[in-house]
Amino acid sequence: MSVQDILDAESELTHLLGAQQAVVLSTRIRLARNLDGLPFPGWAKVPQRKEIAERCVEALTELPKFRRGHVLRMGELQDRDRAVLVERHLVSKELASGKSGASVISRDQTCSVMINEEDHLRIQVVKAGWHLRGTWHIAEQLDDDLGGRLKMAFSERLGYLTACPTNVGTGLRASAMVHLPGLCLAGHMDKVSRALNQDGLAVRGWLGEGTEAAGNIFQISNQQTLGLSEDAILKHLGGWIKNVVEQEWNARRKLAKDEGERFTDRLARSYGILRHARLLTSAESMNMLSHLRLACDMGCLPEELRHIVDRLMIEGQPAHVQARAGEELDSDGRDRRRASVVREALRDFPEVAAPTA
Amino acid sequence: MSKPLKCSLCEEAATVHLAQVVHNKVTKVHLCEACAQKGGATDPAVFQLADALTSATQAAPTTTCPQCGFTDIDFRKRGRLGCPSCWEVFGDALGTLLTKVQHEAEHVGRAPAGMLPIGQLRRRLDGARREMEQAVAAENFEVAARLRDEIAVLEQQLTPS
Repeated sequence: MSVQDILDAESELTHLLGAQQAVVLSTRIRLARNLDGLPFPGWAKVPQRKEIAERCVEALTELPKFRRGHVLRMGELQDRDRAVLVERHLVSKELASGKSGASVISRDQTCSVMINEEDHLRIQVVKAGWHLRGTWHIAEQLDDDLGGRLKMAFSERLGYLTACPTNVGTGLRASAMVHLPGLCLAGHMDKVSRALNQDGLAVRGWLGEGTEAAGNIFQISNQQTLGLSEDAILKHLGGWIKNVVEQEWNARRKLAKDEGERFTDRLARSYGILRHARLLTSAESMNMLSHLRLACDMGCLPEELRHIVDRLMIEGQPAHVQARAGEELDSDGRDRRRASVVREALRDFPEVAAPTA
Repeated sequence: MSKPLKCSLCEEAATVHLAQVVHNKVTKVHLCEACAQKGGATDPAVFQLADALTSATQAAPTTTCPQCGFTDIDFRKRGRLGCPSCWEVFGDALGTLLTKVQHEAEHVGRAPAGMLPIGQLRRRLDGARREMEQAVAAENFEVAARLRDEIAVLEQQLTPS
């Protein structure tokens, strides 16, 4: 099993056509867990980290969820393959940059567990679209299954013990990846971000912590993990996401109404560039694809083409382009290759029409 | 040229400098590129963390975890703990930090099979006591009796064995 198999497979986020939705791209649940009696990865000695990795991999590969899945040890991977995993959100930059980390990934790429990241175990479940409860139930089940095989560090007062005080308690980080071109174009994003921050939610860019919001895509997640039940955390996030989705639709409809033909023109121009450009940088393609996704949501393009746009957003990232090319490309080479992949994918798209949504 | 500032979270040279003003109090955080990338620069919690970390002086360690050898100085440098036992060892110092970062100090969520989240039991106990008072006041003695039994069970579960 290799990273190439992960690239070639039909995964939840790249091929699950029916589940793709306007505004919410994906729902993610992360649980931080640690083995009882062993130092956290950042403080553990190399042999201890090895022991931790072996015990975790063994327990995980026994679970039905990971049957015929992937076991990837960071120390055995090339830089480019690690970068592909980061771009797919299967592993974090932190895990990819160390040698003793490992990742166990389910065949459909919905479940992935990082081993020896900041905590011994980071259980992650991702579903395309907005499915908070469904995603949570899968994570809960995995947690129970794993808890039956490994004794987790837990205190009755503080809950699940983690390396960092920001994760202790439930160890739960629930998040939604949202596409907010309407709020961005209308200039409301700062205001929305502030409101979310003030109510205990973090707003981050497309690749998580400390990244820019390329393509008007943001990750919204809970901050507090202690003193709130999992149910309360999910309800709080869920309420806000519903609110943000509503505001996004209001902003879109208002833009379409106020701008009239200029709204369609803006989307059509991005479409024109994507359809004909010979060189496309990663940032440019993300921003143009964002307009194309908006066009699909608004009825300017057929909705059933949206999954192609979503796939291009993932596959247009630098390491993906590089890995697909199968040869070392310089920056221009990647931009050329990206442009040709996009042109090819959009070849049968119809023209951008006036919005109907 | 002045000596470069060190990152508030690790030992590297800081290249990202942040200042936050809350109620006229300025908190400054200096981060190296790696820590800033890890989210330090956008995560509001970093100020609270760094505040607690930097307010301590560079003294000799006063507490050491007998399990893993981690000290309070290590925690100030890294902002991460050494092992699960550290949570007990550094409990008091962490309590203050926790209420800053998390606003709460007790877990009320899930627990592994066979373990009981104590915060949840306490809350239920408080709730049951309140409900019993109300039931008694309303002369609803059947409900009050049921609550009295529940309170007895909860109190027993909360008594350290």
